[in-house]
Amino acid sequence: MTTFEARTAQLAAIEESGWGQPFRLVQPRNLAFWVYLLGVGGGALAVVRYFGPGAHFYRPALTGGVLLFGLYLVPWLLLLRHQNRYTAQPATLLAAAFAWGGLAATFWIALPANTALLEIWTKLGGTAFASDWAAGLTAPINEEFGKALGLVLLIGLAPRLVRGAYDGFIIGAFIGLGFQVFEDVLYVYNGAAQTFGTDQLGSSFQIFVLRGVAGIVSHALFSAIFCAGLMWVLGRTPGERNVPRGVLTMLAALVFHFAWDDMAGLSGGIGTVAVVLPFVIAAVELITLFYVLRHAARQERTWIRQLLRPEADAGVLDPALLGAVSGLRRDRKAFRKLVHGRRRARHLLEGASDLARELARSRGAETSEVAHARAELLRLRGGGQVPM
Amino acid sequence: MTDTAPPGWVPVEHRFLGLDRRTFAPALGVLAVALLLLYGLPALNAAIPWRSEIRAGDVLDLGDGATAVPPVGWQLEAGTLTGTGSVAPASLQVRLTTGGATIAVVGASFDGTADAFLDQVLRSEGGATGVDGSRGTVTTASGLVGVALASTGPTGDGLDVAFKMASAAGEAEGAPALLVRVRTTPGQFERRQEVVGTFLRSVTPGAVR
Repeated sequence: MTTFEARTAQLAAIEESGWGQPFRLVQPRNLAFWVYLLGVGGGALAVVRYFGPGAHFYRPALTGGVLLFGLYLVPWLLLLRHQNRYTAQPATLLAAAFAWGGLAATFWIALPANTALLEIWTKLGGTAFASDWAAGLTAPINEEFGKALGLVLLIGLAPRLVRGAYDGFIIGAFIGLGFQVFEDVLYVYNGAAQTFGTDQLGSSFQIFVLRGVAGIVSHALFSAIFCAGLMWVLGRTPGERNVPRGVLTMLAALVFHFAWDDMAGLSGGIGTVAVVLPFVIAAVELITLFYVLRHAARQERTWIRQLLRPEADAGVLDPALLGAVSGLRRDRKAFRKLVHGRRRARHLLEGASDLARELARSRGAETSEVAHARAELLRLRGGGQVPM
Repeated sequence: MTDTAPPGWVPVEHRFLGLDRRTFAPALGVLAVALLLLYGLPALNAAIPWRSEIRAGDVLDLGDGATAVPPVGWQLEAGTLTGTGSVAPASLQVRLTTGGATIAVVGASFDGTADAFLDQVLRSEGGATGVDGSRGTVTTASGLVGVALASTGPTGDGLDVAFKMASAAGEAEGAPALLVRVRTTPGQFERRQEVVGTFLRSVTPGAVR
């Protein structure tokens, strides 16, 4: 590839990925902003109406729930921050996604929609059928679509930033995490109400343990998969549209959600099956998650390679580092072995990511920030040349 | 000279009431789906009638072998009949309805007497203990003893009965608690009194069955 071709590909990658574009939530001329405000505002109002009357009596449970699930958020945010790699999304956009999941999807949409659909299944199939299957036939539909609406609004608010399936994956995970945490607090409140307020801290801790463990393979995962699938259907990046794959991915998320919610019905009352089934479903979910993640990252990795190619050609970073910074986990692992050190590998990868980000922010122009990021990377490499 | 539009600038040909028409498709799409879920499903639900009428011989499963006989002709909106599934007594939710009256049965874990359980229920709802009236005793056909509290107000009449679902008197403290809650519109309670009484008398703890 000539220097001119590499430079053209770099500018095309910056343009296509939208990386470096600022995100503004408040856009009064954008109808998506008003719909977002309606959803989040409606959700906030529903929160006040739901918890308000019992907030005083159930304060120990609510406080316990908010504190416990607030702490629960920390490792999740660290994990998702780690996954927000390649052409990373801005924190403000991810915060907006989280708020949609927690307030709009949970309280504005799912709460009334689930109540209605659960009752419809009870009317159509009877109470015994409903007790086995209604939850799984209700929540996946209302909740997955309710959460995905947030992604569509964010596309409307940041059309240049939300481009590929990997963007859908990360934004979906944040929407799902918001949904999960707010729903968990709702469960804590309902659990305390079920016992009319006896042993509120005990019941909130019990729900924290149960929901916390189940949460590992719950809403954040469902939404990451569903929203990646939606992005494949929408095909907002040239060549990335794949409707069959997108639909199948979305269906997989719906099926996982169904299986998780109707575990009792699926186990058919057989004790052994009831014990083994959650682990089987969790294993299948995680395999699917990594499969989707790998495919969704393909376009992002290409962009990073194109973005850094002129720098690699100029000798700022070597092929091994370029491969690692635009690669998968196994590539980063191989790179760690190559440079004989986890810490050094991390520094080099972060330095290369910084340079890519500054190049994207400057739209490929030579700015003082780009020069500094480049100098930093060269300084890090100077500490010991990366073997070629 | 390059011409870069300021952030938020909308070309005149794309404006509609000050908004950018290019943003309408995602926003209106989201609004349509949200409204469908928010109002479409409740509307569909309202259009579908209940068809789960209690028939003669039906028995309610209250968990761990406890049962009650629901009134024939009422609609079972929540809860399980015996032989159709399993029920956990501590998370039991039963709702029976008929014109102007509802019987709700709620199970809960509670250490203490039926009287103390009723206190806890009232406290959780912000009501001072015993303001509605004096408490009475309800004894079921199986010998189970409950504490009843009647109330009346502008929206209708009510009766709350608390049981501890123990088959032997010594086990009552740690046994699951059961709250039977009857609500009727004004003037309906007298009409339903006999049916409610029959239902309450039919409540049977597990081991006695």
